[in-house]
Amino acid sequence: MSLVVRKYVPQIIISAIIVATVAFYYLYISKEVAGAFSTADKALSDWAVIITSFALIVGGIDILRFHVLRIKREGLAQAPFSTVTIALLITMVVFGVIGWYYSYADPKAGITITTQPQFRWLYTNVYAPSDAAVYSILVFYIASASYRAFRVRNPMALLLLITAVIIMFGNTTIGGLIWPGFLSLRDWIMTVPNTAAFRPITIGAGLGTIVLGLRLLTWREVSWMGRRE
Amino acid sequence: MISWEVLGAWISAALVVWIYSFAYRDNALYKLAEHIFLGTAAGYSIALALDSLNRVLIRPAVTTPGTFWATSWHYVIPVVLGLLMFAKYSRRYYWLARYAVAVNLAVGTGLALRAVPVANIVRQITATILPLWGSDPVKVVNNWLMVLITVGGLTYFLFTIFPRRVEGAPPSPTYQVYRALYYIGIYGMMVGFGALFANTIMTRVGFLISIYLIYLQPQVWASIVAAILAAIAIVLGALRKR
Amino acid sequence: MSGRISLGRVLESRELLYTLLLLSVILPLLHPIGIPIEISVRTRDVYNYVEKLKPGCHVYIEVYYEVAARGELEPNLIALTKHLFDKGCRIVYGSLSAFGVVAFSLFRASAADLFADKVYGRDYVYLGYIAGGEAATASLAKSIKGTISVDNYGNRLEDLPLMKEVDKATDFDLVVIVSSGTDVFAYYVRQWHTPYGVPLLFVALSVIGPSIEPFVGAKQAIGMLVGQRAAAEYEVLVGRLGLGMASMDAQSTSHMLILAFIVIGNVVYWSKRLSSRRGGAR
Repeated sequence: MSLVVRKYVPQIIISAIIVATVAFYYLYISKEVAGAFSTADKALSDWAVIITSFALIVGGIDILRFHVLRIKREGLAQAPFSTVTIALLITMVVFGVIGWYYSYADPKAGITITTQPQFRWLYTNVYAPSDAAVYSILVFYIASASYRAFRVRNPMALLLLITAVIIMFGNTTIGGLIWPGFLSLRDWIMTVPNTAAFRPITIGAGLGTIVLGLRLLTWREVSWMGRRE
Repeated sequence: MISWEVLGAWISAALVVWIYSFAYRDNALYKLAEHIFLGTAAGYSIALALDSLNRVLIRPAVTTPGTFWATSWHYVIPVVLGLLMFAKYSRRYYWLARYAVAVNLAVGTGLALRAVPVANIVRQITATILPLWGSDPVKVVNNWLMVLITVGGLTYFLFTIFPRRVEGAPPSPTYQVYRALYYIGIYGMMVGFGALFANTIMTRVGFLISIYLIYLQPQVWASIVAAILAAIAIVLGALRKR
Repeated sequence: MSGRISLGRVLESRELLYTLLLLSVILPLLHPIGIPIEISVRTRDVYNYVEKLKPGCHVYIEVYYEVAARGELEPNLIALTKHLFDKGCRIVYGSLSAFGVVAFSLFRASAADLFADKVYGRDYVYLGYIAGGEAATASLAKSIKGTISVDNYGNRLEDLPLMKEVDKATDFDLVVIVSSGTDVFAYYVRQWHTPYGVPLLFVALSVIGPSIEPFVGAKQAIGMLVGQRAAAEYEVLVGRLGLGMASMDAQSTSHMLILAFIVIGNVVYWSKRLSSRRGGAR
């Protein structure tokens, strides 16, 4: 019995919903039934929208738990850093909740979670610049890689390099000064050989999605359950 | 009295510099900035999840309860499922969270599954069925390239059962065609990856430019100080390697 | 001897590469060179498509990028918004990613002049963040008001004049997806274009562009604006120069520097390889 509720019922739910979602889209019986299908289809999508919100909250709490455990495990060396993470996480949530409260207590003030002044200050001046800096630091590694790793060892690497150089000239304004044809050559590469090169990948991704769907439908895919039964 | 705006600008600039210091080497200030980023990002994510939940569910339930219960009563189910997600922290009832994951996964997969055959497969194949003969030579060459590289890529990725070659015997025509398509696929992909590499540079440099223009402000003297600091870093780096 | 070694070390150090890269970006920003820009056919095609939209048309814009991608995508978003407003279009913005809210807030502040004479609720609306990814995309395609009841600022959607005119995917004349990720383009192709045939316009990071090109090639999107270069071109076309155009000189110098790194790296590699071969032959 316990295995039934722990494993089989969730799998039955998966199969039933996949079949229903596909049927709602392709099956046509009558206009009335199609209307009912459309309503049910929208309801299922909305369920996923609501559950995703809960999943995001659980994800945030996971980070909180992880840092509390890190302080316990790693002691003073990690404590100041993890404390900063925990404090900022809680601060953001508290300001967000204050905004949420005001959206009901004083709707005319126009304060909501995302427009609460302190919350806004924190995401504009702390979250935004650190996010931008973290992602942009990769530019240094690209520069370093182009010097150390971009070696023409064989004809394939040579073709890759030639394409890259043409696109680089086509992307920049200085390329146009050197030879005006770089821009149209870049556009040709992007629309003909590049499109053809990425098309099999797009088709492969589509086939992968179908295979994953069929594996879920037939209960062969169990990794989503987390631990094995 | 320093304003919040000015303080914010200083904090932004400091965070950028601390994070960039990682390019020189890992250090405590980078680690601090990294943890600040993580804390705000996680807190932001929770708050925005609440915001979405509020606007999809709570707000209509509170402000227009009559309409809500008449049309959206079934929202009780995802709310219960969402709350069950917290069961993952329990050693005994962890499996309850699977119900929520199951519904979410099934809806996502079902939605993708019904559109993927057309969007990712049929439309891509029909876009590759092109006339290979005609009066416009440029178009003909383009069409040949499009068809050969696409079929070559498919040969490389999907039709991975390479025909056997009998030892000593000359290669069969099937083998030769397969081999040619296989290599056309690889060379086509090299063109794609070359484009990807060049565009990666564009993106990353673009990120750096926007950081400089938005958070660090283009000041001549500040840039000179930064250059001196960088020169010191070069010398220190060279000495360290010795 | 030691002096020669340390000079070699300095020349090989990654710190030198990084500094040169920073200089190649910073110097042209401090002293712009002003290299003229040519407009590509693809950008002009997108411009011409928008140009043909009729006054009063409705456009949905998905703002789906993190702050890091601002330099590449925000100039595109600003130029497109200006063009659409100039054509008399009304715009509904929405975000399927949480960071889209920050991106929109920063975009709104950078393009304050464009919104100065526009009335919120009549000319444009920002729906805010809607969780759920592909499920949310599918749900919004059927009914926006059936999915969320209030916008990002707490206004009831039913009270906003613009939202009385639009509700579902087919109500829009154009859907623009401004994204730093690949997935969301596929979501809109699958949930908005495939079932409803809504025209899509992709605005992508340069690094994303090549991989979503097959959708554009298969006419599942009317066109694509890729990165800062397309932004700069569009800024010129709509006559409002901004971050896109300001970045072009710095992009040129840094690209030339990286090209020099590649060439030097290969010269060093091949000279070492050839000399070792010669050594082996001896």
